[in-house]
Amino acid sequence: MLLNTKNFGQIEIDENKILTFEDGLPGFLDCIHYILLTNDDKEQRPIWWLQCTDKGNVAFPVLNTFAVLENYRPEVDDETLALLGEFENSNELIVCNVLVVPQDINNITVNLKAPIIININTKKGMQIEVRNKEYTVRHNLYQEIEKSKKTEE
Amino acid sequence: MLALTRKKGESIVISDDIEVFVIGVQGDQVKLGIKAPRSVSIYRKEIYEQIQQQNKEAVNSDEDVVNKLEDLLKSR
Repeated sequence: MLLNTKNFGQIEIDENKILTFEDGLPGFLDCIHYILLTNDDKEQRPIWWLQCTDKGNVAFPVLNTFAVLENYRPEVDDETLALLGEFENSNELIVCNVLVVPQDINNITVNLKAPIIININTKKGMQIEVRNKEYTVRHNLYQEIEKSKKTEE
Repeated sequence: MLALTRKKGESIVISDDIEVFVIGVQGDQVKLGIKAPRSVSIYRKEIYEQIQQQNKEAVNSDEDVVNKLEDLLKSR
């Protein structure tokens, strides 16, 4: 199927890879179907796009968080995860976090409080509020990168 | 808006399948218990509004800066 997108022009998408977010996303309740654009090697890329297939002009840049913030440990209730259907181990879950990327790179934030979790078996996804009190909706990612650079030096 | 007075241990019912209990009251804090089908999403309002706002800003992200950020993250 061909989809007209805001950022990538017209792209061919594999209908078998379409994900369903039954409740949409907060602020986008009527955007139910998505495709995760990870390009060729999803393990390596630090940023993906969650592209809505209902509305081509809706696409969220998301962070491949476990690849970038090694200490990220979201705590989610089992009952909530069960809404995404069955999975055998956590490798079958994809976790990514919505980025806000304004023109000023200093103000890039990532929502660590409400990650997007996708079950690749059932192709169901949700944006879930985690229990962790230390995570915020607007975590400054740029400062975090700068800080980790300094620690490495 | 409908206003109801409830005591500790009492509840209200919304539709057939949602029940909200007053579990306890301490000073200006009220502890609520909510029984609802699993498909009903429940959020603290202020957090929900922050997530909504963040998502709306996310779709207006600057694509060039996203690419710049990606290069920066890859070079680490």
